Amino acid sequence: MKKVVAVLLIILSFFIIYFLQSNFFTWFTIAKVQPNLFVIFVLLIGLFAGKKLGLVLGIIFGFYLDVVVGRQIGISGIMLGLIGLAGEYLDKNFSKESRITIILMIISSTVVFEVGSYMFSLITLPVTVEIFGFLKILLIETLYNVIVTIIIYPIIQKLGHLLEETFKTRNILTRYF
Amino acid sequence: MDKNKKSGIIGIIITIIILIVLVACTNSNVNQVSYIENIFNVFVMPIQNGFTYLKNKISGNDTFFADMDTLKQENEQLKQRNSELEQSLRELEIIKADNEKLKEYVNLKDKYSDYETIPADVINRDISNYSSTIVINVGTDDGVQEGMTVIADSGLVGHIISVTSNTAKVQTLVDTASAVTSTISTADDTIVVQGTLDDKTALKATFIPTDAVVLQGDSVETSGIGGIYPKGIHIGTIREVVNTSNITDRYAMVDTAVDFTKLNTVLVITNSDE
Repeated sequence: MKKVVAVLLIILSFFIIYFLQSNFFTWFTIAKVQPNLFVIFVLLIGLFAGKKLGLVLGIIFGFYLDVVVGRQIGISGIMLGLIGLAGEYLDKNFSKESRITIILMIISSTVVFEVGSYMFSLITLPVTVEIFGFLKILLIETLYNVIVTIIIYPIIQKLGHLLEETFKTRNILTRYF
Repeated sequence: MDKNKKSGIIGIIITIIILIVLVACTNSNVNQVSYIENIFNVFVMPIQNGFTYLKNKISGNDTFFADMDTLKQENEQLKQRNSELEQSLRELEIIKADNEKLKEYVNLKDKYSDYETIPADVINRDISNYSSTIVINVGTDDGVQEGMTVIADSGLVGHIISVTSNTAKVQTLVDTASAVTSTISTADDTIVVQGTLDDKTALKATFIPTDAVVLQGDSVETSGIGGIYPKGIHIGTIREVVNTSNITDRYAMVDTAVDFTKLNTVLVITNSDE
């Protein structure tokens, strides 16, 4: 029951983030570039709630974004799913108690997501390669994601541990017994 | 521990300030003088207001002993009147907005009277930094199909790439995957305009014929070649021509006629083939 409520709250949070991304952050930009809050959100789900939920919700959220506003269906689902999946592996190898580690994870996830999405669009759509333009946007977007992460870090820690207690409690117990 | 928490909060506040400064600096076109003036005003205005308040108090103290009951009554009446006026103002604002929207539709209809069109509102925008699509509130139920041209009052918007029963997704001109064959109005030469990542308000015009004379300010229109867009729809004006060592590689930047950041009302052309 607790898990169902937690999943419902995650879905509700996704829609709040979607609202922020499609309204507030369309004008609150750094040099006309918005952050990518979905990458941060899905990575944190994978990191605190585990790879299964990260993967499933990443795919669902990505698919939803592709269907509603995307140019082609699939790529956001695949990339966000991968980021959700990677969350648990990052958790096993790095400490999420450190602000720096979280920031580095956000940087790498943003870069992986955007490079993957751009490569896919280069292959599937008649898009001209613009390395300089792409790198400029990627750099600003990554910086923006880092700034957002620094600002919401205390919330990440609090909500993250609540998620961890809800979804990972059984794992800890099995280690002890 | 407490010290760590305190420094953490200070860090967050500093980061928020940096973010606001970054957003303000990178999005504003206001010149430096106004910046300094604004900063100066922030410090000076409270002091100036304080002095003005004191001055008014001193000079107006003869009215201080006026009949308080009458003043209170008047104040109540004025408050009530004020709220009534505010209510009327809100109603008028709503009527004004509706009126403007309808006027925009009528203007659009008149301008493109050769085409059969369906009016629509923009209900959603792309959230990615690398693409530019919009969602409009008409779909197959209204007769909209994939590939139809979408225009606005000032010119071409794009074409429909997918459609549901009530909504349609439009790939705008400034999307990086968009390429439109067009003509320069003064020279009748055919060029291709494409969206770029660098600038969401401009298009890159390539494949300019070597003998074509392209000048700043020239109008660019759809050529009708390609089968998606009908001929003669205004796209934008040439902002600058960039010459390269090889004349075949030269290109031009075209300012779009449509301001995609403020786009709210569009028309879908349903009979472009006729």
